[in-house]
This record gives sequence, C-alpha cells and structure tokens, in this order.
Amino acid sequence: MPPLLSLSTGEKPVKLPLLISLAALTVPATAMVAVAAAPVAVMKARHHNFENMGRAMKVLFDQLRKGAPNFKVIQASANTLAASAPRVGSDFPKGSGPESGRKTDALPAIWERQAEFAKAAGQLVVTTKALQAAAASGDLARIKAAAGQAGSTCKGCHDQFRKPH
Amino acid sequence: MRAVSSARAPGTKLWDLPVRLVHWSFVALLPLLWWSAEEGRLDLHRTLGLVMLALVAFRLLWGLVGSETARFAVFLRGPRAVAAYVRGLRGCTHAPVVGHNPLGGWSVLALLGLLAVQVTLGLFAQDTDAVQSGPLNYRVSWDTAKALSAAHEVGFNLILGFTALHLAAIVWYRVVRRDDLVRPMLTGKRAFPAGVAVPKLAPLWRAGVCAALAGALAWWLSLGGPLPGEAPAAQDVPSAAEYM
Repeated sequence: MPPLLSLSTGEKPVKLPLLISLAALTVPATAMVAVAAAPVAVMKARHHNFENMGRAMKVLFDQLRKGAPNFKVIQASANTLAASAPRVGSDFPKGSGPESGRKTDALPAIWERQAEFAKAAGQLVVTTKALQAAAASGDLARIKAAAGQAGSTCKGCHDQFRKPH
Repeated sequence: MRAVSSARAPGTKLWDLPVRLVHWSFVALLPLLWWSAEEGRLDLHRTLGLVMLALVAFRLLWGLVGSETARFAVFLRGPRAVAAYVRGLRGCTHAPVVGHNPLGGWSVLALLGLLAVQVTLGLFAQDTDAVQSGPLNYRVSWDTAKALSAAHEVGFNLILGFTALHLAAIVWYRVVRRDDLVRPMLTGKRAFPAGVAVPKLAPLWRAGVCAALAGALAWWLSLGGPLPGEAPAAQDVPSAAEYM
C-alpha cells in the first residue's frame, strides 16, 4: 500500500500537519471568494444587459429620427431588446443590491416591493415583444407607437427602481 | 456710481452694443445652463444650449467683421506684446488700453474657444440612457456619444475655472489698479487720456447679418443638421419625456 499522504511518487511523503494547515488556509479563502464573486458577476452581467438594451434603443430611435429609416437595423435592435428583456426579472437576486457594497444604481425598492418590480419587468417583456412584431411588420407608424410603449416601460421602471441621475 | 456719473466726462465708446449684449447674455446663460443640466431639465438645457451656440457663433463672426475692439486680428497680440504688457503691469506704467489688453485678448479667445467646444460637444451629448440628447446625437454611436458626454462635463469644469480666473482678474484690476472694467462693459464707454485713438465701430446692420447667420446655423443644427437632399430629423419620434 502506498503511503496515504504522498502527493506524488516523490521520495518524501508530505507531512500531515503541513497538509492540514494548507487545507485550513485554502478552504475559507475559496469560500470567501465564492461569496463575494457571485453578486459581482450577476451585477456585471446585468449592467451589460442594460447597456445592450440602451444601445439597441438608441440605434432604433436614431433610425426613427432619420428621414429614411433602415428597417433591417430597426429589426435587429428590436430583436436585441426582445431577447434582453426577459433577463431583467431574474437579474436582481438578493444580495446584488446596494448592500453588496458595490457601486450600483439599483434601489432597495426592487427587493422591498418585489411584486411590483416583477410586474414591471414582465411589462418590459410584453412591450419589447410587441416592438419586435411591429419592427417585423415594417409599418413605421406602428413601430413608432411600439417604441414609445417600450420606452415608457423602461422609464416607468427607472423612475421607481433606479437611483435618479 | 453715486452722483459722479453725471459729472463724469462722456468718455470714449469702446465696447459696441453687440459685444456687450453677447457678454451679458453669457453671464445670464451660463448659470441657467448649469442649473438646467443639474436638475435634469434637459429639454430646456438643449434649447438654451442652442441659444448659446448662436451667441458664440455670432461672436466669432463679429470677431472677424465687427467693430475694431471686437476683432481677433486687433486684440490677439504676439508673445512680445503680451510680455511687455505683463512687465508694465508689475511696474507702475499701467495705462488703460482701449479695448482688450494683450493678455486679456488671449483670455477672451480662451473663454470663447471653450464655449465653442462646449456647445459643439453638447450637440452630440446624451444622458445615461440616450433618452435626452443633443440634436446631432442620432448621428453618432452610443460609445462616441458617451465619450463626448464625458468631455462635455470636463468642458464645463474648464469653463468654471476660466470664469473664476476672469472674475479674479476683474477684481485684481479693480482693487490693485483702481481700474473698473465692469462699468465700461455695461455702458460701453470709459474715460481715456486725451489723444487716444478712438476705435472704429462697425455699423449695426452688419451685426444683423451676423446674427441672422448665427441664428440660421443654430436652427439648422436643431433640425439635426440635415445635409442637402436629406430630410430633417423627424420630430414625431416618441417624446423623450415619456421614454425611460
């Protein structure tokens, strides 16, 4: 039977007390990192998602301002918005708010009034889907109306749940 | 002030009406622009910014074709003239200059240049969500607009700094040199020793032409700066106020 605590085929088996102390050092360290990393990852991903939506919204509205809008660009932006919107509802797990100690514009109201927040997030899914459908139709008046609806949903949520700028 | 004004010699007219109007409009507009941006009244900020742009454009044109004391070619002097003026300031040979002195001329250019850069940046700037934005914002990408918005904020701090310097200089002339620079900017006139050359003032109709050109520029930019053959930017896009 090979020595239990030998790490390799090396000559000297590693001494038990050293291994224990190494383990004692690593376990809490990795545990701490895991706890701290989770909210940061969530917060970064959600920030990225919101920025994506902001960009898409700008690209779409810029086209609406242009004399001759490019419907392909409008459709691509509407698709991005419709794809990003469903993430918002689940992007705010407990611990990813201001209490994380990280810089965030998320207000505690998100967690204090969870039902309202969930409803607002659901509304975003509905209005971005409608915008996607309008964009696919190529009907400019319909797109403008739907873009306004989606925009108001963004604003409605920002007004209640985001730190004012 | 007091009763002295009536007893005072009429003095020489050195600042024409357009220069004074533009100057005091800057004084009124800067705090309003600051306030409207801080309060998030960005619709108002955009309108005031376009007024500022027209004023700056007017002043730049007036610096080319306006009255003698308003012209860049007259008041922007070489390094030797500036150095000589500064030496004179330190000594006791300070004599009032009809118009901008060699140092003040560059200060005018710095302030006007900063304002020109600032209103240009503002044309492309946007808020956090690009909901509220300058009239040319739709022509640039999100990232470009973000960078220009950040520069727009830096620009304001620079303007604040130079304004503080401008005010400090006025106080210094008043206290140390007993030279009142504010009153002539209000009345356009001040007393000079006999025999100074009287600056040539440009006719007001010329100011009218410059104002019309500057106004047209601001109006064209407010429409998104449509190029020939291009339709102006649509104004029926869902209003920014109801979006985000």
